[in-house]
Amino acid sequence: MLEFLWTSFVEPLSQQSFQKALIGGSLVATVCAVVGCYIILRRMAFLGDALSHAMLAGVVAGYLLMHLIFDVEAHALAMFVGSIIAGVITVLLIGFVSQVTRIKEDTAIGIMYTGIFAFGGILASYFSDRIHLDLYHFVTGMVLGVNDSKLWLMAIVAALVLSVVILFFRQLQITSFDPIMAASIGIPVVLFDYLLTICTSLVVVSAVQLVGVILVVGLLVTPAATAYLICDRLHRMQILAAVFGVTGVTGGLYVSTWIGNIATGPSIVLVITLQFVVVLLVAPRYGLIADWLRRTRLVPQRVIEDIMRSLLKADPAPLSIEKIIEYVEATSDQIHKSLRKLTLQDLISNGGGQLALTDKGRQESRKILRAHRLWETYLSHVGTPEEQLHGRAHNLEHLHDEETVDYLDDKLGHPLVDPHGAAIPEDFVHLVPGTVVKSAILREGRSGTIESVPDELERKLQVGSRVTAGPRRDNGRTWTFVLESGEEITLDHHGADAVEVRLDEE
Amino acid sequence: MDQITNRTIPAVEVENLTVSYGPQPALLDISFDVPQGTLVGIIGPNGSGKSTLIKAILGFKKPDVGEVRLFGESVERARGRVAYVPQHGSVDWEFPVTVREVALMGRYGNVPWWRDLSAEDKLCADEALEMVRMSEFAKRQIGQLSGGQRQRVFMARAMAQGADILLLDEPFAGVDAATERAILDVLRRTKEAGRTLLVVHHDLATAAEYFDRLILLKQKLYAYGPPHAVLHQELLSAVYEGRLRIFQDLPSAEDFHA
Repeated sequence: MLEFLWTSFVEPLSQQSFQKALIGGSLVATVCAVVGCYIILRRMAFLGDALSHAMLAGVVAGYLLMHLIFDVEAHALAMFVGSIIAGVITVLLIGFVSQVTRIKEDTAIGIMYTGIFAFGGILASYFSDRIHLDLYHFVTGMVLGVNDSKLWLMAIVAALVLSVVILFFRQLQITSFDPIMAASIGIPVVLFDYLLTICTSLVVVSAVQLVGVILVVGLLVTPAATAYLICDRLHRMQILAAVFGVTGVTGGLYVSTWIGNIATGPSIVLVITLQFVVVLLVAPRYGLIADWLRRTRLVPQRVIEDIMRSLLKADPAPLSIEKIIEYVEATSDQIHKSLRKLTLQDLISNGGGQLALTDKGRQESRKILRAHRLWETYLSHVGTPEEQLHGRAHNLEHLHDEETVDYLDDKLGHPLVDPHGAAIPEDFVHLVPGTVVKSAILREGRSGTIESVPDELERKLQVGSRVTAGPRRDNGRTWTFVLESGEEITLDHHGADAVEVRLDEE
Repeated sequence: MDQITNRTIPAVEVENLTVSYGPQPALLDISFDVPQGTLVGIIGPNGSGKSTLIKAILGFKKPDVGEVRLFGESVERARGRVAYVPQHGSVDWEFPVTVREVALMGRYGNVPWWRDLSAEDKLCADEALEMVRMSEFAKRQIGQLSGGQRQRVFMARAMAQGADILLLDEPFAGVDAATERAILDVLRRTKEAGRTLLVVHHDLATAAEYFDRLILLKQKLYAYGPPHAVLHQELLSAVYEGRLRIFQDLPSAEDFHA
């Protein structure tokens, strides 16, 4: 066993090519992942792909220049600088075409990078007798052939890009998130766009050495996307993305040495893709399993509300679970789930199988009761036969959002009792101490200070005077209020809606 | 926030402003003054130049003719005193950023790139969150907020910025009635704290109730003043070309002058 671990994990480490590949690969994967976070948040993945292809022209041009003029073969720095220049030219051309013409940016990217890639391909094939450039490696990467000069280049790129990201973290964050706001506080947005594009070119050029042209985008976006499924803050996402990048490169290198004879580039990208799939399944909040669990745990709101209404009926006496199962129309599994949810939300308390409403729960269930009785009043108003009232209101009471209830209450003239003569709970949602409400919703005994009065009532009422609501008259159609002087005034529905009262603080 | 400003200088002065994209003018010869501490609604049909006006006040769009002054100064010099609250649809709500981080962005303009945010900046952002009652959500990712809370985060950012003028692009678009109330409440409290707000608004039915003054725009400035003077039938049907039928209840010019 120990021997197996030794041969599979430690032995490769003693090979120099593996060491270099591991160091170079980790450097490249780290910067790729960190920059990749901006790429996915700014939806620039296609640009990353474009840059990696366009650099072929730069590599060939750099090679030819050194070969034809100085007779130096495969000069790494020249090819590197060549690819950066090719990248920047591509970006400038894309920007020019998409800004000056009606061509959209993604189309401009497609046109420019294929054009420049094709130019590189023609150069490479025309001079094929003089260029000893392996296009196959350019496509699939040649990480195990990393030499010292390439390693140095990778290290310098990594240091440079990481410094930019750390120094300008705030600027890159805000220009990615809200460029308009960034510009309005004087941040040079265009400058940072170009800075980020240059960083992307640098990163892409070193990543091509690792995994080849076609797979660069994977190294750029997959670790970042994996981290995005877990993190809700940019700097954490970047750190985690770097971790996934490094584990992906390490895993990919081992896999390719174990199996032997498989290209390292694809094996690295396959490992980071597998990491993504695993995280996609198990991520705590944005993962598929978490999502599935959330949906199966869902119980119909109707069941929850029916339970609360039965508890309110019995209130303050508690009810046993058996009784609830008897009263509420639902499977016992649904009821148990609802009860758990209600307990968790602190709406009911469970004392040894006896269930009772908490204060919060009482408030919540009164809201449903209020909706029920308002719906009954409404239904009777529109001529629904008496025997159908309860059943239909029972279905409608689940529509108890604030807006609907307010609308019903106002349309019905803020009724006090429902058609069966049962009291409709007062509008406690709006009756918050210290806030301003329409005087129409005040029930007898409520008091406050007048906040605003319409012009036509200015003779009756003054802003700033205190009023206490008296009983309603004429079947609830007339509101009465008692002033501090003891004088009583009456208002109709329209008037009571127009007068605003600030409720007393508690 | 430490500038001592004469309360009588208008917060926003727009003078003969003409802005164009290509040959077509988006705004033509617009002039108006907004006094400090006013809540102003900008109304007009789609493509009437509402956002161009906002851009001109922010200094993004150079005027062909005319100028914009903020507290008597040029837009460039007053940069930082005006804050922009984006339209709901233009924000990436899945961006990995927390409520507090958004509020902190309001301070970015005051901190040079080589320095970290100071404790004072953090305090300022926390106070701004407190002001819009969002402190308890400080650690939430912005996508996990309700519509009204989302709007409040950006209000907090504008306040952390120390801006005296707030430009809001359609803050009421696509929110439910309760949220609309909550947002309006924040706008009014911001105004009462002495700030000036210019709000792009599309709902004529609520415009009169929400704003102190209205700007009615369609390339030209059709009307500017208190809502009852702006919202009458002749003006609106001229601007909207009879495309809306809800004006029937509004006073016509004769009723108004009678």
